[in-house]
Amino acid sequence: MRRLLLSIRDGRGFDIGLVSVPLIFLFAMAGLPLIYNIVMSFQEVDMFSLGTFARPFVGFKNYITLFSQPETWPILGNTAIFVVASIAGQFTIGFALALFFWTGFPGSSWLRGLFLVSWVMPGLVVGAIWNWILSGDFGVLNFLLKESGLVSANIFWRSDPNFSLWAVVIANIWLGISFNMILLSVGLSAIPQDLYEAAELDGANVVQRFYTITLPMMRSSIGALVALGLIFTLQQFDLFAAITAGGPNNSSNVAQYWAWDLSFRQYDFAQGATISVIMIVFVMFASVVYVRSTRHEVRG
Amino acid sequence: MSIALRDKLMLMVAVLLAAVYLFPLYWMYVTALKTGSAMFASPPSFWPSDPQWSIYGSVWQSRNVGRYLWNSFVIASGAVSLIVILGTGCAYVLARYRNAWVDVGLFLILMLQVLPASLMITPIFVGFSQLGLLDYPRVAVILAIAAKSMPFFVVLVRAAFMSVPMELEEAALVDGNSRFGAFFHIVLPLARNGILVSAILIFMQAFGEFVYSKSMIQAIEYQPASVGLNSFMGPNTNEWNNIMAYAAMYVTPILAIFVLLQRRIVSGLTSGALK
Repeated sequence: MRRLLLSIRDGRGFDIGLVSVPLIFLFAMAGLPLIYNIVMSFQEVDMFSLGTFARPFVGFKNYITLFSQPETWPILGNTAIFVVASIAGQFTIGFALALFFWTGFPGSSWLRGLFLVSWVMPGLVVGAIWNWILSGDFGVLNFLLKESGLVSANIFWRSDPNFSLWAVVIANIWLGISFNMILLSVGLSAIPQDLYEAAELDGANVVQRFYTITLPMMRSSIGALVALGLIFTLQQFDLFAAITAGGPNNSSNVAQYWAWDLSFRQYDFAQGATISVIMIVFVMFASVVYVRSTRHEVRG
Repeated sequence: MSIALRDKLMLMVAVLLAAVYLFPLYWMYVTALKTGSAMFASPPSFWPSDPQWSIYGSVWQSRNVGRYLWNSFVIASGAVSLIVILGTGCAYVLARYRNAWVDVGLFLILMLQVLPASLMITPIFVGFSQLGLLDYPRVAVILAIAAKSMPFFVVLVRAAFMSVPMELEEAALVDGNSRFGAFFHIVLPLARNGILVSAILIFMQAFGEFVYSKSMIQAIEYQPASVGLNSFMGPNTNEWNNIMAYAAMYVTPILAIFVLLQRRIVSGLTSGALK
């Protein structure tokens, strides 16, 4: 007993104690739910059996029911569109801004940091503001689009099934630009300047320098960022809740919102758990890509 | 073109870009000050000609904003305290050693960081309700947020510990300190700034948390401001000036902290996020 106490105060036990308590906590609060989720996706869960662990196992029935529903494939398609469009928009605009601020001028780093404001704002507030900006009759975006002659009639962003998903994509791109820009700026500042000087002496122009130096040198940053973007867009929930709530008629519904909707609006916890399992597999895959692309940095 | 002129031009473009990017925030504050009819005017005015400052007082009263913000504060403080107490030691050990176990631990933590809250809430809700934790809804939300955000905190704080030279700790050990003493008197004070910035970042995130609170807190008197904002925005609402006033009261404290600590927050984020 004395030796144990001594070890905790001044030895291996100190490290083990420090690291094991948080790991046990994380296992209880994240690992166990993960396992429980998989178990529930093979069970029949309803309001009556919610309180007990002994629920009838039904094999793959939940998965079969899920894929026989008519809305499943459109919603998975929406998820793919949402992810691809969001990442493409965030990355392109973020990269352009990062390159612009990289040229370096007085005040550039301060102004660049200001963009990160969107990242610390509560998602619901961002959603509320965009909900109002995108409003059909009185929205300021429609006004600007009409004034500039881009559209002739108001677009009903939130209630038109052709546009509702894009309403959330626009808000999500706005939200993600800052994060992309900051991380790309970090990658850009790590490129040695003498590479550019040498290329300039050899007569390479701006475009050639971009394609032969910037892009290849940024490859690992870009890989990590795209994987991170995939993870973050699949986590996006608040904007859906605040702008369209998945509607109208599921036209802007995505898997991560649908899973919650099934569990907490329709009380179909088994179906909610089933979608969660499928999506978590996707997210895990993305995170393996992310961890791999940053592995050399992780090991320092 | 001279360097000075080029700098000025670039600065002007940069300010313009920042203004375009931050327009939604500006629009929130302007809309909050408009009257009911000015809000729906066409063309919209970009400057409140008749600012209604009283709207803040009336929304604060009618929507009980104080109670919502207090609940957000309680939940965020609880989650941050739990994360700091548990996560700091974990980050320290993961920074101090470099072996296969540490790699495994880091890998697991990075994997946990990516699990979307809206997917994890189903098993957490069912499990918590079976354990009876939902009778204490704010505690349940604090536990869930702590589990969700701790990996990010550990990654950020680990970077802070990595920048503390190991020689300092070894010197303290040679001088007769125990591991315990060296950790609390030497290493922790040196990493204090990094821990503080990471804690503030986590606090901001927890202050705006929505999924867990929305799903687990049924009683209105325990709901945080994010859930309150959500229930304020009905499907066919037209009180946008009131909603924007609510949003402004919710977000302004966070914006103030951000502007004050901007440089530190940005550098703290970039040091951890890609490493």
